[in-house]
Amino acid sequence: MSRIGVFVCHCGLNIARTVRVDEVVEFARKLPGVVLAEDYKFVCSTPGQELIQESIEKHRLDRVIVAACSPLMHEKTFRKVIEKSGLNQYMLTIVNIREQCSWVIEDEDKATEKAKAMVNGAVYRARLLAPLAARFIDVNHDALVVGAGITGIQAALELANAGRKVYLVEKGSTIGGHMAQFDKTFPTLDCSACILTPKMDAVLQHPNIELLTYSEVSEVQGFVGNFNVKVRQKARYVDHEKCNGCMACMEKCPGKASSEFDELLSTRKAIYIPFPQAVPQKPIIDRESCTYFLKGKCRLCEKICQQGAIDYEQQDSEISLQVGAIILATGYDLMNTEALKQFGYGSYPGVYHALEIERLFNSTGPTDGKAVMRDGREPASIAILHCIGSRDKNYNEYCSRVCCMYALKFAHLFKEKTSADVYQLYIDMRCFGKNYEEFYHRLLEEDVKFIRGKAARVTDRALSPEEEGKLIVEVEDTLSNKFMRLPVDMVVLAPAMQARRGVEDLSRIFNVSLDKNRFFIERHPKLDPLATHTDGVFIAGACQGPKDIPDCVAQAIGAAAEAITIIGKDKLELEAATAFVNQQICCGCQNCVQVCPYDAPGYLADKGASEINEALCKGCGLCAASCPTGAITARHFANDQFMAELEGLMQY
Amino acid sequence: MSAPITPYLEISQAIQEVGGEALRKCYQCGTCTGTCPWSPITHFNIRQLIRQGIFGLEGIEEFMWHCSTCNHCVSVCPRGVEIIDVVRAVRRVYSEGGLLPESLRVFVGGISSRGNPWSGDPGKRNDWAQEQFPLFTEGTEYLYFTCCTLCYDPRNVQVAKATAALLTRAGLSWGLPSTDVLCCGESIGKVGDTMQFERLQGVNEQFFQEHGVSKIIVNSPHCLYAFKKEYPGTYEVIHTSELLAGLLKNGTLKPTKDLGGITVTYHDPCYLGRHNGVYDAPREILQSLPGVNFVEMARSREQGYCCGGGGGGLWTEREKGERLSDLRIEEALGTGASVIATACPYCISMLEDSVKTANADDKIQVKDLVELVVTSLE
Amino acid sequence: MSFDPKILGIACNWCTYTGADLAGTTRLHYPHNVRVARVMCSSRINPAFIFRAFVLGADGVLVGGCHPGDCHYSTGNLYARRRLAVTKKILEFAGLEPERFRVAWISASEGNIFAETVREFTEQVRNLGPQTKLAAQKRMLA
Repeated sequence: MSRIGVFVCHCGLNIARTVRVDEVVEFARKLPGVVLAEDYKFVCSTPGQELIQESIEKHRLDRVIVAACSPLMHEKTFRKVIEKSGLNQYMLTIVNIREQCSWVIEDEDKATEKAKAMVNGAVYRARLLAPLAARFIDVNHDALVVGAGITGIQAALELANAGRKVYLVEKGSTIGGHMAQFDKTFPTLDCSACILTPKMDAVLQHPNIELLTYSEVSEVQGFVGNFNVKVRQKARYVDHEKCNGCMACMEKCPGKASSEFDELLSTRKAIYIPFPQAVPQKPIIDRESCTYFLKGKCRLCEKICQQGAIDYEQQDSEISLQVGAIILATGYDLMNTEALKQFGYGSYPGVYHALEIERLFNSTGPTDGKAVMRDGREPASIAILHCIGSRDKNYNEYCSRVCCMYALKFAHLFKEKTSADVYQLYIDMRCFGKNYEEFYHRLLEEDVKFIRGKAARVTDRALSPEEEGKLIVEVEDTLSNKFMRLPVDMVVLAPAMQARRGVEDLSRIFNVSLDKNRFFIERHPKLDPLATHTDGVFIAGACQGPKDIPDCVAQAIGAAAEAITIIGKDKLELEAATAFVNQQICCGCQNCVQVCPYDAPGYLADKGASEINEALCKGCGLCAASCPTGAITARHFANDQFMAELEGLMQY
Repeated sequence: MSAPITPYLEISQAIQEVGGEALRKCYQCGTCTGTCPWSPITHFNIRQLIRQGIFGLEGIEEFMWHCSTCNHCVSVCPRGVEIIDVVRAVRRVYSEGGLLPESLRVFVGGISSRGNPWSGDPGKRNDWAQEQFPLFTEGTEYLYFTCCTLCYDPRNVQVAKATAALLTRAGLSWGLPSTDVLCCGESIGKVGDTMQFERLQGVNEQFFQEHGVSKIIVNSPHCLYAFKKEYPGTYEVIHTSELLAGLLKNGTLKPTKDLGGITVTYHDPCYLGRHNGVYDAPREILQSLPGVNFVEMARSREQGYCCGGGGGGLWTEREKGERLSDLRIEEALGTGASVIATACPYCISMLEDSVKTANADDKIQVKDLVELVVTSLE
Repeated sequence: MSFDPKILGIACNWCTYTGADLAGTTRLHYPHNVRVARVMCSSRINPAFIFRAFVLGADGVLVGGCHPGDCHYSTGNLYARRRLAVTKKILEFAGLEPERFRVAWISASEGNIFAETVREFTEQVRNLGPQTKLAAQKRMLA
């Protein structure tokens, strides 16, 4: 007979408020196989852990059940606890009477009844548990960082500086991300380029970083410690090995297109680098605007290039990498505001979105840093509209967190560059960061006008001579309870930060779930913000949710540290709950071979039976359920163990 | 200096208990007031009404009758506050306390004594038809539910006649309800008189069930809203604009007569557009008529401007300068249109009044889509 | 007191179980009737588990897995989907109301959907009344 110890946690009042813990303990004590049942305020605390260890010794327990919070929270903690007392860590069973019980059931009787049934199920299951041998694998010491905006750059540099080899994959033809587009950064008004370009250069020069631009990850196989990654490098039509970056080709190229980097406010050539400080300093050819690709003749760049670097025949190529950990830093998209017709973006030329303004202010931008509008006029009045598509159930319910602050920054720069009147139309000013509130105060002193009300509409329909030729913003100033028509020259929208288009593909490739707003989900919102549910894959920056630069950088450094805890090791312990084949019963149908996504089962022709490679097995149990003869056992989730748990759960 | 205010949470509680609990969600951003058609011309402030509702403060009752339930604020509210539900609840709480404006008393009185807002003789509900059109009997496919306003208001009777003529010409199996039916109740509901609404609903629903009605044709988007969204039955409710667009598309009705190059603009009834999402059918109809040059007003479709007739507004007296339909006619004239078409009897009444006060009879005509289609068939 | 059904839930570790945790951490209330057993992947579920649960007296069984295409083990839930569809047919063949068995795809972020599903399913099973068809076989187990 087994010797089970049951420990029921109060979790302060989290459990004890709705579950009568003493009653559960009384119930457990009487169950066959249970030799000890105790309760404690916080079983996960040091005294709680010691209680378990002492009890194992004193009562010669061979199995432990902890009825507390979710196994996703503390299963690992308690496994270590019992292991220290000499028990195999798989002799532990967690009963989730918090998330599954006390937090979701209001009625005390019902919550207590359910808790008892759950403990009963655990006891039934625990009796049949068997010790499992620990498994170790070798770890690849290299890392992959996906996305080379400020977050990816920082993460890559941290890893590289710690002596790790890093592959930095970037979808665009240059690194730098959104931050490279900015002019100044709040609240310090540091020049964005001045603080970013040295980091971009460091990436390029670092011996430990292999930079793969114009590339996307197409496939990830394997698991923590040993990922096999396929990267597709798109054809650039310029051989970067040969190109010396002289840019002579760009001067002569007749092909033109709108510059994506300048938010379509200027043009670029068909052979181009996105901006003067781009990294790498080597151009690519855009097929869509290249005269040769469109019309079959031109090849001017080829004639000019003395290095012979132009290669119209270049194809996409595939690169295979092996890494031990992955950091996703794929960033965000600015919301497209054309759908919000009431604000007139796309129909009134005087309406701009935030990234366009960044480019207008930037000295390398379309206006060489002059704050002038599409018609060349300097605006005499500007309205900055907050919360466009943020904090709005119709679009994105969340707050985008950075808009209040960059709106203040814009106001400051407009004041600096023009003599315009600047209005902020806001719902709440959210200036939560270090020195942010002070910046808000400074802007008040700079005589920026704050209107507390969300803009309702932008129109060009003038109702008075003063409104002729202006854009009129309709808004309620909620502080004076008055409806206001605000005639201005320029309207600036602060659109929501959204999850990237195509993030569903990333989610599938890297096996990281998305939240309802399509941002990546962290393992725990407070205590594990950079890990994901896929071991060895971390997230940092705006791909997890809207963030400003300081937060992105902090996360990047944190994610690098997390990655090093994996790739810094020589060996990793794996879940021991794998499957195995009883070859006496196996009929050789090879169902298991066909269904397994990890190629763990293999067919041994000489034995006429399958065998499972435990190093490849992830323990999902698919093969066990697919086996027609019952030859495959999923360890720790074996048929008899699971059936026993059901019996226990359904008994009361 | 005014006196300090104190929350009066019993009032707030009362509002929430009769369907206004949505006010809890409001974060007072002012999008509603910024969008509200009344904001530029009156002191009515819908955000403030919600604010006062949260604390049960005084001053709500003064302006609450302005809201024409046009749904523009609801459609853009970032918090998803069902503002119309709040307005209806506030009105209910206050009208139960006897605070009903004088002009609405006639409307409410008509509903309670005669079952229609025009105090028309219930027995004469179908008199406009002059016994030329069939009554709905078992086996008839469509019930043509004529809005009270089409039955009793002389201007709108013309729309009823035009509709009946079109239904006959299209060869549909259709019939009128008996004179037992009453007003759909949409407007009395919005005024906050839930009891009357329920009575009307009961009578009409009984008629629908007893006669096995499965398809209902309506001219009024208000009837459309009530039958579709407020009545329990599962019948199909079809607005004339959708029906006609279909009949024109499949060739059942063939408009042949050239209307002579007239410029027509279209006024979106709030209850057809924002409340029921029908924007395209009316435009398809106008664009299929020969000799019609169709122009849009700046405020159209989802951004359409209210005529002021909803939420009891049709029966409320308003000072000059406080009439939305006056502004709408001004906007229509600005497009150069000689016809403002619409598809709602309330809009027709409101806009007709404004054309008269503006002395613009010679510049612009108000027409229901149905009337234009009839003309183009002759 | 109306009939209070006993329902077995089987949830995959990565999506539905995590989603249920989220329902808990956000304190969404739902009926007590569903008792959840955890598996690593919905593909682990052997149809025998479902039959066993009914024989043991479950009035309903609710299975939750990742959305098809989002499986932690890339394709497991696609096998589960087919296998559980057949299971439902067999239950029906055995004379059980198919409404007693439901498969729901609930992601880790859908705590509200987990709670809603439990609410709905509990009501559905409650309306069907006690399950006696397979529960009557319980004696044969012993």
